[in-house]
Amino acid sequence: MTSSLGTPSSTVGLSLVEDTSEGPLMELNMGPQHPSTHGVLRLVLRVEGERVRSAMPHIGYLHTGFEKDFERLTYHQGTPHTDRMDYLSPLGNNLGYALAVEKLLGEIVPVRAQRIRVIMTELARIGSHLIFFGTSALELGAQSAFLYAWRERERILEVNEMVSGVRMMTSFIRVGGLMADVPAEFDPTVRAIVHDFKPRIDEYESLLTENPLWLDRTRGLGVFSAADAIAYGWTGPCLRASGIDYDVRTSDPYSGYDEYEFDVPVGTHGDVYDRYLVRVQEMRESLRIIEQALDRLEPGPVVIDNRKVVLPPRSELDISMEAVIHHFKIVTEGFRPPPGEVYLAVENPRGECGFYIVSDASNKPYRLKVRAPSFNLVAAIPELMRGCLIADTVAILGSLDFVLGDVDR
Amino acid sequence: MAAPRLEAAALDRARQVLDEIVPGAVTAIDDSPPEGALLIDEQHLVDACRALRDDPRTGYTMPLFSSALDWLEREPRFDLVYQLRSLTQNTTLRLKVPLADGVSGDLPHAPSLSAVWPGMEWHERETYDLLGVVFDGHPDLRRILMPDDWEGHPLRKDYVSFGEPVLFTDRASFAPDSAMSRGAPD
Repeated sequence: MTSSLGTPSSTVGLSLVEDTSEGPLMELNMGPQHPSTHGVLRLVLRVEGERVRSAMPHIGYLHTGFEKDFERLTYHQGTPHTDRMDYLSPLGNNLGYALAVEKLLGEIVPVRAQRIRVIMTELARIGSHLIFFGTSALELGAQSAFLYAWRERERILEVNEMVSGVRMMTSFIRVGGLMADVPAEFDPTVRAIVHDFKPRIDEYESLLTENPLWLDRTRGLGVFSAADAIAYGWTGPCLRASGIDYDVRTSDPYSGYDEYEFDVPVGTHGDVYDRYLVRVQEMRESLRIIEQALDRLEPGPVVIDNRKVVLPPRSELDISMEAVIHHFKIVTEGFRPPPGEVYLAVENPRGECGFYIVSDASNKPYRLKVRAPSFNLVAAIPELMRGCLIADTVAILGSLDFVLGDVDR
Repeated sequence: MAAPRLEAAALDRARQVLDEIVPGAVTAIDDSPPEGALLIDEQHLVDACRALRDDPRTGYTMPLFSSALDWLEREPRFDLVYQLRSLTQNTTLRLKVPLADGVSGDLPHAPSLSAVWPGMEWHERETYDLLGVVFDGHPDLRRILMPDDWEGHPLRKDYVSFGEPVLFTDRASFAPDSAMSRGAPD
């Protein structure tokens, strides 16, 4: 289907094209600047009246060449790049990258660092799902949901700021542990967020979950069967909405996820509505995980005890020549993992975010490939949108909840 | 970590299944730490992947990603990399396919797996775009991330990343591969 489309005949708004088998179709350009594309995605729709005959996504507008850039940066210098891929869950990307490099090194971070990593990435998951909740509702005309979601997300960004000084691109999770330990007010602040947010999810759900307009616009729309979702490499909430309970946190537990009790919400219909339900339910599960991790948070180190990998504490620099040398070597050269290759994935809000790193024993990755969950979601758009109404394309796009920074890298 | 044992078992099982159904497909097992891979012969790639997908003992129904590695000095020059996921066995498997460079400046060719997993279609477009591997039988092989009129394939190791050739009156030319492209010191 997609092959016959080729490059669109025109890049302006719309044009008439001849299609001998189907009668005249209108070619309609949607994006790259379009509020519902959540970034810069361009869709070329071929429509017959209000019906979409075919939809062809064009990506690459946010391509920044991160994978190429990784090859000339030391391992520590790579961390800030990971923030900017899936920019709605920077901490999840940090974690995937850090874990992959740590696997290359054969290092495991201390328990306290693991717990804080879990808390911060689960907060990021809630923040990301709130954006999904707000924007997809906004696109279908429910404005108040958007404002409530933003209010809640603000508090999560404040936690980011409290622990790292930065609201979004924190680079807080680093190879070998964390940027720094969390301050004393971290525990009460996060507990207050969990406490306040729990009843509010019910409140937010009351805006949409049984709202007849929302149901009409989302139920039975954009259905993707389980078999299709698997064959397209879908992961995360979109796959689970189709009825597959694949979640990296339970299938390949990392950072101690196997110690926490939580459920993996699964949908049945694989439509837009189920993707919404799965995400709302996931926010509740994230709160459960955060509470358990907070309860088990005990004092201890937050970085590994390997001075070849992690910078020495500031206090040692004044008294130890060795610490100064380590500091100098790590900043100027970085560290050299043994040769080999790893693939390690974490469960990001959008699905399985994996890092495939090939090391040639130098201080920079020989090749680093990011398995971005959004990429596979967008690849299925031609299949998903065939035959839907133009107005429904917006609902389908919103339900996939991709991030173009993640798609294009 | 506990994971490598599981991965070794997954490699062995996949090799067993392939030796049975598509003899000659597996040329070797790369069991170098920390993670291994199955080396697959290019001629048998499509059949091998069908077998891995359909056989209940493996069940690699989900394509995670595919890409390639450019070894530049090595012969064969490229490695195609396929990462697969089995939901029934709960294992992840990596296939690697050594691929020789094309002769006299042509791009190397490899069979497309888009008929086995539709999810590989875009990944193969990305590999074509960034590493210049042509996938035979691909329904829509175009550039995907770079602009359509881009020249060269950026993730190749001999790609010049920075600068433009500039003509000076006192020198023959300015080599564009400046110190910048080397990044941090080795």
